[in-house]
Amino acid sequence: MDHFPTNWGRPRNDAFDAYATYPIHQRPYNGPKDTFADGVQRTQQPIVTGTSVLAIKYKDGVMMAADNLASYGSLARFKDVQRLHQVGNYTVIGAGGDMSDFQYIQYILEELSIDEISAQDGHELGPIEIHEYMSQLMYARRSKMNPLWNSLLIGGFKDGKRFLSYVDLLGTTYSASTLATGYGAFIAQPLLRKAVEGREDVITEEEARKILEDSMRVLFYRDARSMNKFQIATISSAGVSISDSMQLETAWSFAENIRGYGAQTQ
Amino acid sequence: MNSILQRYSGSNAGGLSKSTIDEDNDFSDAMWGSEAGFGTLAKGVPGFVVPSVPDPAAFLRLHTDDHADPSCRIKIQHGTTTLAFRFQGGVIVAVDSRATAGSYVASGTVKKVIEINPYLLGTMAGGAADCQYWETYLGMHCRLHELRNRERISVSAASKYLSNLVYSYKGMGLSMGTMICGWDKTGPAVFYVDSDGTRLKGDLFSVGSGSTFAYGVLDQGYRWDLTDEEAQELGRRSIYAAGHRDAFSGNTCNLYHVKEDGWKFIGNYDITKLHYEGPGDVAGSPGHGYGYDMRVEGRSSANPPEAPAQA
Amino acid sequence: MIMPDMDSLAHPQERRFNPYTENGGTILAIAGADFSVIAGDTRQSEGYSIQTRYAPKVFRLTDRAVLAVNGFAADGNMFVKKVKQRLEWYHHAHAKDMPLRAIARLIQTMLYARRFFPYYVYNILGGIEEDGTGAVYSFDPVGSYEREACRAAGAAQSLVQPFLDNQIYFKNQEAAQGTSHPSHLPLETVLSIVIDSFTSATERHIEVGDGLEIFIALSKGRTLQGMESIRGLQELTVTEDGERLFVMRRDLKKD
Repeated sequence: MDHFPTNWGRPRNDAFDAYATYPIHQRPYNGPKDTFADGVQRTQQPIVTGTSVLAIKYKDGVMMAADNLASYGSLARFKDVQRLHQVGNYTVIGAGGDMSDFQYIQYILEELSIDEISAQDGHELGPIEIHEYMSQLMYARRSKMNPLWNSLLIGGFKDGKRFLSYVDLLGTTYSASTLATGYGAFIAQPLLRKAVEGREDVITEEEARKILEDSMRVLFYRDARSMNKFQIATISSAGVSISDSMQLETAWSFAENIRGYGAQTQ
Repeated sequence: MNSILQRYSGSNAGGLSKSTIDEDNDFSDAMWGSEAGFGTLAKGVPGFVVPSVPDPAAFLRLHTDDHADPSCRIKIQHGTTTLAFRFQGGVIVAVDSRATAGSYVASGTVKKVIEINPYLLGTMAGGAADCQYWETYLGMHCRLHELRNRERISVSAASKYLSNLVYSYKGMGLSMGTMICGWDKTGPAVFYVDSDGTRLKGDLFSVGSGSTFAYGVLDQGYRWDLTDEEAQELGRRSIYAAGHRDAFSGNTCNLYHVKEDGWKFIGNYDITKLHYEGPGDVAGSPGHGYGYDMRVEGRSSANPPEAPAQA
Repeated sequence: MIMPDMDSLAHPQERRFNPYTENGGTILAIAGADFSVIAGDTRQSEGYSIQTRYAPKVFRLTDRAVLAVNGFAADGNMFVKKVKQRLEWYHHAHAKDMPLRAIARLIQTMLYARRFFPYYVYNILGGIEEDGTGAVYSFDPVGSYEREACRAAGAAQSLVQPFLDNQIYFKNQEAAQGTSHPSHLPLETVLSIVIDSFTSATERHIEVGDGLEIFIALSKGRTLQGMESIRGLQELTVTEDGERLFVMRRDLKKD
């Protein structure tokens, strides 16, 4: 029996220090600083990836935006990938992270939809059901240590109610009136919250579109894995519509004043 | 390790063939009722979920309870000083009540003596959950033994049951250092069982980080023909010593005495109070604090004798 | 050349994926003589990002049992879901709610079933015992548990618990000459201690804030004494025997 409480509750590592000869707070240290952070990387890493997805609630429903880029590391590999996907008649699912896993999710949801349709039981899958399904799927896969490497936003409108929620590769879920995945969580989310929080029932479709476009522009300026070609999905009582790809007016004159990155001489 | 994985993870281990969503769909009928929550045990061996990684023990080592590494967030509660000894008048069991998670005192009111049944006590050092769970489980099997054999299980058999059980999980990360104490046909008995699979019969044991301090007091005061009062006082005094000198032990001392007619709870004593005031008006009390302050009154540098008046 | 064994070919699985994260927040429960109060903030965060300002951490299990979960949110939600499922089955089998101390044992065995792949969840169970007393049970992630009078867990545990030790257990306090400390505090006092704990934790811990949800379980026959002045009190359920369950919500600072 090892009498040192610091070593209790953990399997013994018989490869070294079998007799716990170390003083109590000096355990052999191998690996980076944060063991948890360490786990979040490498070995199974996403390969072909999409970056942020943004979504907000507005007066008539939910609006979601994502660009058309799928990166291969730092290479802008595929520039016409659709990352917003319609499921059933009331829901859009937007994905960041690994695109092959996202295609698998689309396949799974397609199977699910076919099963539902062929049942002909008068029930239709709405955004709430699809989010629940996805959160169970994502959590089950993480529990098998074989995750689907995505951050998903699920937005919809059914029975007069709008719905917007998040789920990721760990099965973590949450909902709010503005959501953003990936870099968007750091760069766009504050902008979205400032524009939307408390005004969810006031914002018109035009306003909502402008809020998302402005945020996508800021992301394009700063996120090196983003692209100025994106789509917007609107989900309202009128149903789902996913726009064609569009581009934004950008201005780079501000770059003149940026100091510290390039070869400027003061 | 793969064989262990397969043994404990049932049909779920790494199977890709199952449907897309399935967590654990082999429910036993017992789960529908109460079964004291032990419904999963109906099949004989409890079913445990094991992470599907090549080395589950390494996984557990990475994620749980490295006190030296604050980034390991799953902290498991630990018990720390426990002792038990056999003497003419039965068995004395004394423990402290501190549980630590890292350097944080997670609780100061832990019950480290587990009352397996009216004749058997188990102590808790190591992982609190491991001890609580497996000693409760042991209690169930002791009862089954009674029903099957029309007599109480011997302390020896009960402790062997436990040691065989934890041995089957060796290497998986269980941690328990326990004394199984009781009174059976052979008289008072104490067995030490730990998660390595060790099982020892003996007169006197102490387990946990404070055990060295407890042994110090225990060894110098222990005799077979201790009176009940002297024995209880020795138990108390030993736990006090560990609580005083070991950072992982402290708060209060719980004292039990096992006699022929089963165990009896003697009392709960605040260790700070033991230091300054002693155990109070109880059998065997010295009538003053255990701390040495009073013994050096007027004679130490902290409390020097009055200087003789200058001539 | 090293040949990979067939086993690893059949199951190409990931070695270094980290299945856990930490979602902040704090929970707290205090037991009185004939009531129990279970509270939690509603912020959910990861690292420095606030994911949402409203994600409940405190859940009604039965008319007299409330469970608060804290740690990794996905594990917490799944765990609550499974506990609720087992309680529902129990109800079908026995035509009554599971008693509180039985729920506590159930939670132990459910947590321990994952001893080798733990739920990263700290649980606090509060409610009314069969004998009508208020009770709090606290658990570690692998199921060791204990009945207590009060307990805080989560991000601000180390800020709140010492305050509770002082205010509930009167630790390191000397009673005035000729008086003694009460063993159980009145509901009104408990509620103000809970609210103060969370406002203070919000000030000093970045992962605590946004909203506060407080569940109050009352023993049967207990009057609403001490609850008259509470605004926004919402009654959730009342049992045939007369146990009552309430929830109240308060804003916390959002910065």
